[in-house]
Amino acid sequence: MRTLPFEYAVRNLGRSPARLTLSVGGSMLVVLLVLTAAGFTRGMEQAMRVSGSPDAIMLIGSGSEESIERSEIAMRTSGVVAASVPGLLSRAGMDAVSPEIHLALPLSTGRDDQGRLAVIRGIERAAWLVHDEAKVEYGRAPTAGRSELIAGRLAARSLGFEPPRSMIGTTFQLDGEPYEVVGIMSAGGGVIEGEFWTALTDLQITAQRDSLSTVTLRTDGADLVDLQSFAATRLDLELAAVAETDYYAQLAAFYRPVRLLVIVTAVLIALGGVAGGLNTMYAAFASRVREIGSLQTFGFSRGAIVWSLMQESILASSLGALLACGIGLAVLDQFVIRFSMGVFGISIDAGVLALGLAAGFGLGVIGAAVPVWRCLRKPIPEALRAGE
Amino acid sequence: MALIECRHLTRTYKRGAEAITPLQDLDLDIEAGAFVALMGPSGSGKTTLLNLLAGIDRPTAGTLSVAGSPVHTLARGELARWRSTHVGYIFQLYNLIPVLTAYENVELPLLLQPMSRSERHARVAAALEAVSISDRHAHYPRQLSGGQEQRVAIARAIVTEPSILLADEPTGDLDRATATSMMELLARLNAEQGRTIVMVTHDPRTTEWADTVLHLEKGKLVEQAVGGAA
Ligand SMILES: Nc1ncnc2c1ncn2[C@@H]1O[C@H](COP(=O)(O)OP(=O)(O)OP(=O)(O)O)[C@@H](O)[C@H]1O
Ligand SMILES: [Mg+2]
Repeated sequence: MRTLPFEYAVRNLGRSPARLTLSVGGSMLVVLLVLTAAGFTRGMEQAMRVSGSPDAIMLIGSGSEESIERSEIAMRTSGVVAASVPGLLSRAGMDAVSPEIHLALPLSTGRDDQGRLAVIRGIERAAWLVHDEAKVEYGRAPTAGRSELIAGRLAARSLGFEPPRSMIGTTFQLDGEPYEVVGIMSAGGGVIEGEFWTALTDLQITAQRDSLSTVTLRTDGADLVDLQSFAATRLDLELAAVAETDYYAQLAAFYRPVRLLVIVTAVLIALGGVAGGLNTMYAAFASRVREIGSLQTFGFSRGAIVWSLMQESILASSLGALLACGIGLAVLDQFVIRFSMGVFGISIDAGVLALGLAAGFGLGVIGAAVPVWRCLRKPIPEALRAGE
Repeated sequence: MALIECRHLTRTYKRGAEAITPLQDLDLDIEAGAFVALMGPSGSGKTTLLNLLAGIDRPTAGTLSVAGSPVHTLARGELARWRSTHVGYIFQLYNLIPVLTAYENVELPLLLQPMSRSERHARVAAALEAVSISDRHAHYPRQLSGGQEQRVAIARAIVTEPSILLADEPTGDLDRATATSMMELLARLNAEQGRTIVMVTHDPRTTEWADTVLHLEKGKLVEQAVGGAA
């Protein structure tokens, strides 16, 4: 097929700056929306997927397997487990058994501040061994008895501390007690990055709580079945054993409807954008019907004309998509979303960007298809009479 | 064999239940090298005939042969290819592509033919020269006068060296002086390059450059007059 010169498509874009602005801007908004929705679901997915390690097992109050925050188990559980479960990982004389309290509490900066709900985890030193993805990035880990916090990097950002380490030294009110942030931790993008950790004993006192939420342990030989049979024999402890990865997978499943809702909303709005785009392109092509008839008269095939009009439309929408990707990387990628189980960041990664660009491309194709068809459907003599 | 042969050429348009037949059972021969002026009242079927000759419309019945090609039998794609080598079409409203320069407008139909860039350049330059508009080759249509636009459009129509040059009221939108120079240009192309021209016109004055004047009325030829050739 002999095609029309590419410059023809490019220069046609410049024919009406207003229309160009409209189609580039429209495509940018639609792609931005796609990026937000995809980045949101991707961020949520990622936070849960990279959370937990395959050989970590959580002991949770039986009946509360869905939610650590509701789980209550006896304080003595960690001691019993350490003494009676063989095959636990141990490093430098410390068993990988981590008794923890998980609470959602308001963190406020002062008396007038209502505070914002944050996930606080009370831990002992073994937590760093069990959750070995958690690393102190800046500062240090909290010391017991001194009401100190270490913040996940995302948790810091969600409270407006950019860069996260600027949060170190800040004091918050936690249930009326002042707590000082002494460090920032990272956890490979997992949920821990959205949490605050403090010493278990400090949190017990502040929250006046005498039960644990979970005992998480790392095994070295023992597996889930061993822990499940332990839970079954020690009915007095009312425990259930869940692999940490399973826990997060099930949590992700719980939020699937939310993700679906986000995607459906995005798709619906994007369709509205497509309809608007159709209109713009139709106006752009309809004013050129006579010109299109002339091109056909010279012998340009309909295919060549379709291709040129498509190029034009795709150029405009891709330009919008590129702008949206730029904005997405610069702005959206920084966004932090808070929800009941903590926070996660909108993640604009290569896959999400590819999706955004594909959406822009698709918008160009679909946006042009119907108008092109309507313009080429006319017999040539009729097209040549257009606008007379 | 004549360059253009129409036999029982008929074109009927259906508009709902009613049918209009602007061209009925037309027989017409046009020899190579002729300069034909096609006249007739509005609605008599002049444009319809021209469009059939150009291969942008298809006859409802009858046969049409141009330069040996049975045009009425060609499928859409074949017809498009046929047009690109055999037909040069000049419109009343020039129909230049606004985003292309004069040079690029003339070059456009050549892009449909296998041709080296240098050969294309030579052909475009020659066509612009032939219509005396070379000095405006870098101008866009909006920077040209109507007469200049039509010259570029004529260059575009002859650049492919087509078998037939068709023009639908080519001077309809031009003032008298410009129309005259346009007719002189067409006559020169006819005389010097041997171009076969079929031109629809309303203006009796323009017929003095043609060698044949055809009168169409209600889809039929009423008279075939031989005018004073230049
Ligand atoms: N696509 C079409 N559908 C229906 N009727 C048509 C169509 N094209 C032309 N006609 C009719 O055919 C008749 C002849 O039209 P045509 O354009 O050939 O006239 P013309 O001689 O070129 O007139 P004018 O001098 O006004 O340009 C007219 O009655 C017109 O309404
Ligand atoms: Mg007409």
